[in-house]
This record gives sequence, C-alpha cells and structure tokens, in this order.
Amino acid sequence: MITLTDFLVVSAALFCIGLYMIVSKRNAIQILIGIELILNAAILNLVAFGKHDSISNSGQIFALFAIVLAAATTAVALAIILNVYRKYKTIDPGKINNLKD
Amino acid sequence: MNNTLPYQDLTLITCTLAAVSSPLLAALLNFCLPAKSKAAGWISTLGILLSCVLAAKVFAGVWNNPQIHVKEVWFTIGATTVYAGILLNNLSVLMLLLVSVIALPVHIYSTAYMKYDGRYSRYFAYLSFFCFSMLALVVVDNLVLFYAFWELVGFSSYLLIGFWFTRDKAVQASKKAFIMNRIGDIGLLSAIIIIFAMYGTFDINSLFGPQGIVSFTSVHDGLWVVTPDLLPKSVGSVWLSGGANGSLPAIWQYIAVAGIFLAVAAKSAQFPLHTWLPDAMEGPTSVSALIHAATMVAAGVFLLGRVYPMFTETELTILACIGCFTAFMAATIALTQNDLKRILAYSTISQLGFMILAMGVGAYASSLFHLATHAFFKCLLFLVAGIVIHQVQHIKEDNNLDIDPQSILYMGGLGKKLPFTFIAAIVGGLALVGLPLTSGYLSKDGILIQAFEWSDSRSAWFKIIPVTALLTTWLTAFYVARLIVRVFFGEFRLLKINPGIKLHIGDGGWQYKLPLALLAICSLFPLFSLHPLLYEHAWVFNGLSPSNYLVRENIYHTIIPAGVNILSLFVLYAAYAIYIKQNSFSLPQTGFLYRLSYNQWYIDKIYKRAFVKPVLGFGKACFWFDKNIIDGFIHLLTKLSGCAALFTAWTDKYIVDGFLHLIAAIVQSIGNFARSFQSGKVQYYLFSMLIIVLTLFILKILI
Repeated sequence: MITLTDFLVVSAALFCIGLYMIVSKRNAIQILIGIELILNAAILNLVAFGKHDSISNSGQIFALFAIVLAAATTAVALAIILNVYRKYKTIDPGKINNLKD
Repeated sequence: MNNTLPYQDLTLITCTLAAVSSPLLAALLNFCLPAKSKAAGWISTLGILLSCVLAAKVFAGVWNNPQIHVKEVWFTIGATTVYAGILLNNLSVLMLLLVSVIALPVHIYSTAYMKYDGRYSRYFAYLSFFCFSMLALVVVDNLVLFYAFWELVGFSSYLLIGFWFTRDKAVQASKKAFIMNRIGDIGLLSAIIIIFAMYGTFDINSLFGPQGIVSFTSVHDGLWVVTPDLLPKSVGSVWLSGGANGSLPAIWQYIAVAGIFLAVAAKSAQFPLHTWLPDAMEGPTSVSALIHAATMVAAGVFLLGRVYPMFTETELTILACIGCFTAFMAATIALTQNDLKRILAYSTISQLGFMILAMGVGAYASSLFHLATHAFFKCLLFLVAGIVIHQVQHIKEDNNLDIDPQSILYMGGLGKKLPFTFIAAIVGGLALVGLPLTSGYLSKDGILIQAFEWSDSRSAWFKIIPVTALLTTWLTAFYVARLIVRVFFGEFRLLKINPGIKLHIGDGGWQYKLPLALLAICSLFPLFSLHPLLYEHAWVFNGLSPSNYLVRENIYHTIIPAGVNILSLFVLYAAYAIYIKQNSFSLPQTGFLYRLSYNQWYIDKIYKRAFVKPVLGFGKACFWFDKNIIDGFIHLLTKLSGCAALFTAWTDKYIVDGFLHLIAAIVQSIGNFARSFQSGKVQYYLFSMLIIVLTLFILKILI
C-alpha cells in the first residue's frame, strides 16, 4: 500500500534534488531543470493532499494549473537564457556576475 | 539774551566780531592758496588792516564808557547753562586795539622778510590764525572760551616757532615751548574747574567784574566762602547757580591761584617756566616780534588783569617776588648773551617780570600800561634785529662765510650802513631803558614808584623788591647799550676778520621802513601822554586805574625818575666806553658771575638734569619694562598657548581623529565583509539563502 508519506518522501526527494541542481549546476538549462523538479515536487504534494478533497478534486485541478504555468514559465526562462547566451556567449551562471557590487 | 541793546552797542559788537573774524578768514583763504603765492601776504595784511580799523572804532566807542557785555546761550548740561559772549571793557578794547595795531606793521614787514621762503602762504596763514586767536582771547567773556583761545594761541605759537621745521633746533624749541605751555594750561584748566565748582559759572563778568561775586568772597577759618554780609545793599543777594558750592576748604583757593599763576608763568615766561622763550627765537624774527615779544607773552599779564580780584594780599606779594626775581634774573642773563635775538628775548622776560611785579604790588594800571608801551618798543627792537640779521645773512651768503648771523660779536659799525634802522634801534632802546620822552619812561617809572609806595607800608625786608627792580633798570640800560654799541657803533668786526668781503647792504624797501617808522613813533611819549614826564597823565593809565587813585603826594615821584635816569645815563656811557674805547677796563670773562650769567643761571641745565633726564630715563625704563616685561609676558603667553595648541592639535589628530578613523575602519571592514557576499553569482545568493533558512529552521527546532 502506498501511503501519503511515501508521496511526501518522493516529493521531498525531488525537492532536494532540484535544490541541489539549482545550487550546484554550471549550466542554466540544468538549473532550469532543477526548478522544474522543485515545481513537480510541489505539484506532487498538491496531488497527494488532494485525496483529502475527494469531492471537488481541487488539488488535482490546481496541479493542472500549476503544470500549465510551469510550462509557461519554462518558455519564458528559456527565452531569457537564450538572450543571456547572446549577450554573454555563455550560460554558466557562475561566470555572469554583473550583480556584483 | 539782551534784545534791547542800544543801536550803538550793537554796532560795536558787530565790529568786534568782524575784527576778530577777518584774520580767521584771511587764514582760511591762505590755506587754500599755493605755498608760494605772493597774494597771501596781502590777504593777511588786508585782514589785519580791517581788524585794526574796526578795533579802533570799537576802542573809540568803549574806552572810558560803561562796559558792553552780550551773551547767548551756548549749551546746557543738566541745570548748568553756559553762555558764550563778548565782554568789552577798557582792558579788552585796549588789548584788542594793541594786538591789531602791533600786528599790522609786523604783517607789512613779513611780506618783505619772508619773501624768499618756500612756504610763504603757509606762514601768513599761521600768522593770521594767531591774530584771530589772540583777538578772540581778549574779547571773550567766558572762562571756557578763554581757555580754548588760550590753547589756540599757544598752538599757533608752536606752529610758528617750528616754522622752519627742517632745522633741528627749531623743532626742539617748538616742542619745548609747547610742553612748557602745557604745564601752564594744566594750571589754568584746574583753576577754571575749581572756580566753577565754587561759583557755578564761567562768566568772567559775573565772576571778576565790578560787581563780581569774587569780590564778595573771602578766606577765613580755613574756609573759602562767599560772604553775603560783605555785599552792599544795592546788589541784593548773591546768586549762585545750581551745583555751585559757594564754600570750599581754603586749600582750593590756593590751588586755583597757583594754577592761574602757573598759566601766567608759562605764557608770560616767568621763572620757573621761562626757559622756552629764549629758545622760541628759532622762529622767524617777525614772529618773535609779534608773538614772543609784543602780544602772546602779554596774554599772561592780560589773564592776571582779568582775574585780578581773585588774588589775596599774600598771593599778590608772592606774585611780586616772582616777577621781581624774574626781571632781575633775565636782565643779568641778557648782559652776557651774544645772540642778538636771545638778548632781546631775555629783555622781554625781564620786562614781563616788571609787569608781573607791578600786578603784585597793586599797580594794576601801570602793569597794563607797561604792557602796551613794551609791546611797541620791543616789537620795534625785534624788527630792527630782523633787518640786521637779514643783512648779515646776505653778507654770509654772498661771501660764503661760516658765521652765525645772529651773533653780535661779528657786528659793529652798522649804524652808517643802516641809518634808518639805527635811528629806530636808538628809539626802541631808549624806550626800553626808560629815558624821558619815550613811552617806556612813563610806564616803567610808574611801576617803580608804586613798588616803593607799596613797600613803605610793609616791613623793611620788602624794600628788597623795589630796590631789585631799580637795579634791574640799570642792568637794562647796560645790556641795551651793549647791544646797540656792539651792533651799530665802532668798526664792522666781520670786515676786520675777513678783509676781502664785499658789502652791499641797506635799510631795505618801504616794507621794512614803514613798520619801523610806525612803531618808532608809537614808542615816543605823545601817543600815551601829552606830558612827557608824568605817568599819571597817561590816558591808558587813567583809563585802567580806579577813579580815586592817589595823586603825587610823596617824594618818590620826584626822586625815583631823576635817580633812575641819571644813573641810567651814566650806565649807558659806561657801556659805550667799555665796548667802544676798550681802553678803560675789560670785563673778566671767567668769573663765577660771568659764567652764571652766560649760562643763563644754569636753569636750562638744571631742568635738563632734574626733569628732562629723569623723564627721559623714566620713558626709557617704561620702554624697557614694556619691551621686556609686558611684551615678555605676552610672548610667554604666546608660547604657552602655542604649546597648548600643539598638544590640542596632536590630541585632535591622533585621539579624536584616530577614534573616528577606527570607527570608520570598523564600519568599512564590516562593509567589506558584507560586500564579499555580493559576488554577483545567482547561485551563490540562492545558496546563502538556503543556508540561512536552514539555520533558522534548525535554530527553531533546537530552541
């Protein structure tokens, strides 16, 4: 039997992997993937907790919205990465340090 | 004040004002002219001529008539109102006329005498300014104004003594005159202050006039008080203005009189303050004639005449002693001096001594009479001296000689070359000796006779005074004779010493001759008295003496003039014999008396030792004290505050600033530390955030 806890454990694992990827990867695309993983961990949580609302299934519906939004944000993020690449000729975030004071 | 003045009086007052102000106008005009402008002389002469004419008119109107006194409110301080005005009585109109009449020939003479001077117009500006001050001095009715003009007279005299200010001697002489006069001014000022404290008024008429308050004042029981019971019934009560004491300790009366005496001694060159007058001869000779012989030095006698009622019996006796001593001392000094002008200066001092003596023995009218006659003949003698010096100066310049043009040792025989001057000198000299037919006889014998009469009513010791005066007149005869013989008789000694020199000298133009002629005529008896031998008939004497004056009643009136003149003639001949024939006997020139006389009784030297040197030493000590002690203290303070400032600067730099720099450094290092987090890398920010969030959570769990 798969319990709620298992979902949550998977979700937490996904979150941690995503976080790790965001912090450590040297490629913006991979960071983007890490973000997606975190989003998916959240969505998984929504769906998992959705079982407590079996009447209107608001968790599942919200998950659908979140997936759509994630797709949209990914598109935007990819566009930004493309522009970053055009400007800096690299997508390694460690080499782009214009925010430095 | 008095709007109901008769028309006649109003005219006289206007004339007086015009007479006083016309020299001032001339002085102001001359100040505006360029320094060498020849117009200056004629402007001044015209100014004084106008004064002279107006003064004569005023004189004719006032002489032997009731006095005229007008005054206006000048200013008010508190309850005291000070009036300024004009007081015309016999004394002031006599002086007004005398000053302007003497000044006129001197002005004419000066136009020629100063012709080649580079500061011609300035000279006449000063001279006119002096005339203004002197004329104003004699007519003002108020002690404050009197003091002001007294100062102005002294000031213009200072300017004129130091006229040739490039000569060191002239500068020294003018300083000396100024300082000596200053001593007298202090006396006069303190006397005025004391009189004001006592009576509460400055008005000369109400103080010293015929009904003046001073006449009702007496000193008794150590108090100086206004005594109402001395008043005649007609006067009513004594009116004292607010603030007046009306009664002071007697010492103040003595101080006031001493102050007035100091002022008189300084201005009229009486012992102990006489030494400035011989030195004042450094000025142009015409100035010496006008200021230091005829007019300004008489201002002291005039002051005595104004404040005469103030003096008590004892004080008058002291005055007589001082006058007598001065007369005698100056006459003995004049015997041996070799400088032409110095002899005349000492003779002036001697004659002024006679005037003071006359004031002291109560011969008020004779004193002022002598003042008037002396002004004429002494001015004449000075103008003569001026011509002689001028001519010798010419000889000196033409022949490049190294001589003192004023020394009578080089002169002689000038009588043939300067005949007109010679006659004038004889007239002036005889008037000075006081031989009959001259004005000097009338006035001097008056003084001598009255001095003897005065001493009669006193103890035998007081006989010394008239006897000394008598002796002085013979001394006068001797030095006058010596002067005239040395200058005009015999051979020209300069020619003897330097046989090759060229001489072309003469009496000079009319500007020299006219003044001499005028003054010589005025030095003879007809101007003053129709009777050549009796001074009681002189109109000046009668106009000034009280109406009930005693007539000739004792033997003195006959014996003294006769004795004086016979002996004078003998002395004159003796002097002539000594200096011309040289064969009778020669005077020892080494004796103590000779040295005493030649060195002017060592008074200058004593003053130098006793006053000038200590004062200079004191000045130097003050300078030393100032430089070393006061300045040293200040320098010490400077150094101390410099050190304190250095310390403060160090503290500021290292402690205060150090603290601030420390804070700044700490803040900076904190900032730098915080800054190091801002690497600009997105992932790093995220990582930091993660760590912080994690830390928070861990802390939350732990706590």
